[in-house]
Amino acid sequence: MTNKTDIIKPRTVRVYELDDFEKLLKGIKVAACMITESHQIVDEASVIRRLSALTLNGPSDGNCCSCCGVGPFETRAQQTAHYKQHWHTHNLKRKLFGKLPLSLGQYNSRQDDDLSESDSDTETEDFSRKPATDLFAAATRHCKAFFTNEKGQVFCVYRCILHHKKEELSTDGEGFAWVERCQRLAIPGFQRWAVLMVSGGNFAGAIFSGGVPVVHKTHRSYVTRRGQGQAQSVRDQYGNAPKSAGASLRRYCQAQFLEHVQEVISNWGNDLFGCTFILYRAVGSVNQAALFGKNSPLKREDPRVRVLPFPTKKPSYKEVKRVHETVASVEVYDTMELFQKALIASTGKPVTKSMSDTTVERAKKPQKSPTKPIDRAKSRERTPRELPTQMMSSEDEGPCFIDSETPKDWIKKLSEQTLNGTVSSSRKDLLNDLSTPSHMDTESETDCVTDKKEHAKKKKKKKPEEKQDSKQQKKVPQKIPTEIKKMWKLISSDQISLETIFENWESAELEAACNTQDPSDGNTALHKAAIAEKPEMVTQILSAGGDPCIRNNQMQTPYAATPHADTRIAFRLFQGQFPAQIEKEKKAQQKRAKRQRDKEKQMEKIKTDKFLQLTDAQKVKAGERRCFLCGSSLPKTPFEYNAYKFCSTRCLQNHRNLRPLHKSA
Amino acid sequence: MAVRVQFENNNEVGVFSKLTNSYCLVAIGGSENFYSVFEAELADTIPVVHVSIAGCRIIGRMTVANKNGLLVPSSTTDTELQHIRNSLPDSVKVQRVEERLSALGNVITCNDYVALVHPDLDRDTEEILADTLGVEVFRQTVAGNVLVGTYAALSNRGGLVHPKTTIQDQDELSSLLQVPLVAGTVNRGSEVIAGGLVVNDWCAFCGMDTTSTEISVIESVFKLNDAKPTAITSTMRASLIDSMS
Repeated sequence: MTNKTDIIKPRTVRVYELDDFEKLLKGIKVAACMITESHQIVDEASVIRRLSALTLNGPSDGNCCSCCGVGPFETRAQQTAHYKQHWHTHNLKRKLFGKLPLSLGQYNSRQDDDLSESDSDTETEDFSRKPATDLFAAATRHCKAFFTNEKGQVFCVYRCILHHKKEELSTDGEGFAWVERCQRLAIPGFQRWAVLMVSGGNFAGAIFSGGVPVVHKTHRSYVTRRGQGQAQSVRDQYGNAPKSAGASLRRYCQAQFLEHVQEVISNWGNDLFGCTFILYRAVGSVNQAALFGKNSPLKREDPRVRVLPFPTKKPSYKEVKRVHETVASVEVYDTMELFQKALIASTGKPVTKSMSDTTVERAKKPQKSPTKPIDRAKSRERTPRELPTQMMSSEDEGPCFIDSETPKDWIKKLSEQTLNGTVSSSRKDLLNDLSTPSHMDTESETDCVTDKKEHAKKKKKKKPEEKQDSKQQKKVPQKIPTEIKKMWKLISSDQISLETIFENWESAELEAACNTQDPSDGNTALHKAAIAEKPEMVTQILSAGGDPCIRNNQMQTPYAATPHADTRIAFRLFQGQFPAQIEKEKKAQQKRAKRQRDKEKQMEKIKTDKFLQLTDAQKVKAGERRCFLCGSSLPKTPFEYNAYKFCSTRCLQNHRNLRPLHKSA
Repeated sequence: MAVRVQFENNNEVGVFSKLTNSYCLVAIGGSENFYSVFEAELADTIPVVHVSIAGCRIIGRMTVANKNGLLVPSSTTDTELQHIRNSLPDSVKVQRVEERLSALGNVITCNDYVALVHPDLDRDTEEILADTLGVEVFRQTVAGNVLVGTYAALSNRGGLVHPKTTIQDQDELSSLLQVPLVAGTVNRGSEVIAGGLVVNDWCAFCGMDTTSTEISVIESVFKLNDAKPTAITSTMRASLIDSMS
């Protein structure tokens, strides 16, 4: 493999440096890679000679396999057997890919791993194996012609200064035509060349004589409207020309430009006539019209007029000089090997190309974003996305979200607090604050103190469901008697016993007082006692009729609300001592509820009986939402006929059947 | 003798026809000129049949044939196969083969006794080839080309191979095939021998561009000058070769 960095830059000799060039031309020959091999000429005589040789001597020297290096075979059977072996086929393939044949031993020993190798060989053709044909292909397609001289140097001359594109020089035999053309370049006075370039409103032209510019001219004009795209002249030709001022200006300038260039060329008429070559670059009809338009001394059919064989930059005097120098330069390689390396590298073999491509790709890869085609049939991996705006509460109670449900003043408050450097514990607290402003006002300071205490306790507890809290909080606040408040105050104070207060109440009042919930957080006296870690108080309240099943706003029972082990034990002890008390209560409640339900049922029954005793007309008048037949309440859209309404189709049908025939029509 | 012929202004006559010692296949063309030339030359001795393969006219490149049989690719339709069976002599076995290299004419060249095949040809196809055409099969290349059917034309009397085949290779091949081989061209220097030439033991057809030199080479290597369809060349040769070798 040859890298471009390995290649030594060739020496360049200019064609117009006559001494150097003539030295180079000594013993000139067309390089071997340029010459096409002429076919072996077969005529009848040679065939007859061969045939007679075959028949006379028999196939003596052909009695072997050169591919595998076997033979001569003794019998026909041996020969045919050999050609049917896999070994022979394998060697044939190896030969096709330019590898040396394997001996039978080698083949047998490495058959396993070689089979796969040969398979892969058939798929990936390796071009480097055929350097000779590769070189020929590269040479015949190249824009330069290659010559050798007596010193063994190889030099390259642009084909455009040897012959016109349409003229084909025969490369058969020694390639004398090529040599003759190349030698002609060295004749003095043959170095009078013109270079003309027209592109995008730029014209540059010069006539050189022996490498020195004789005349030159550049001209620039506004003929392309960048903002409008460059194809405006094409649009003009189709008849739908833009009518803007800019477009007409451009059109005018283009006409001027053409006129100017043509004028320059016609002025140069005599100079151009003496030129040996006129090299030009003019892409597109407009640019070509500038050079070869009406009355131009240049004719496209003129064999001296040739296209530049390489890309050029914007026409300028500097570029024209560069082009002239490039065309006139002859690259000289000292040996054939150097030249071959350079040539194959420059033509870009597929192998080297692919290698460089992969390295480039590898370099590029990290920059590229991986844009795989999306397979919609498959479920895709989730892309990690940011969570909604989230604020961790200062007390670490869990996240607190801002969403559409959040009241506006709450957000306002929050922002104020964050400005002040204090963040409220959680959304719930803030909501509570907002929803119960009146209580906050009316409640005593100690209440607030207990609240704070509670929050301190809550640290370890899980975050409750906030929605429910807010709902409960929105209930219409009850009036809390001052005595109860007093009791709560007592509970949170250092007092151990509540007896002093309990004495003031009667038993029923006491029970109610114990079960009254604090509107701010839903805590009962039992909750408060449990949270304040006072087991004696808990026992007292429980025995006074405090319900241990009431839940506060955090959906906690007093037992669950206490962090204190002794307090919990107090709860359990009470349960152990008075298991019946709780159950009795429950039973009593159930009884009460049942009695209530029975009462309601009876009332209902009496009502329906009354209703059913009415006549149909009366029923209609009464306007009660009841089934006319069975008296049960009607569904939203009752079944009806005439003005009679029924709970079901069956009722309706029965009612109809009961009626006398002549009425139900 | 060798006859110059064109198929609709195309010189690659080997693409559009197949010639053996017992029958000749000709593509269905726009005009009957091509067919007429073959018929005029062959009608007395062997049948000349219009054939298409998978609706295509390139029958010469798609099929492989000798006097014993005919192999057609799997793309051949049933009607075409039936038509071929009806038209050819009963002694000719017609067989359809499933082969990846479906242009059988390009990958196989054969006479009535031996066949050269592409090195990658399927083993099953090789067996069918040996059975149907009654030939010995050898995997070999011609001048480094795997398309042996394209670059070689064989008859029982001789063979013409790719012009760049070395003398050594020619010797080996002729020793293998037991016929004299010569490197040469057709159609004014074309190296695609089988494209420009169809040949049997007494007759050859080549493209209109073929030069007189090329014709003379063809006639001498295939020994067409004095050739007539005889029993010796067609039927007795196998036994002769066996006894001589």
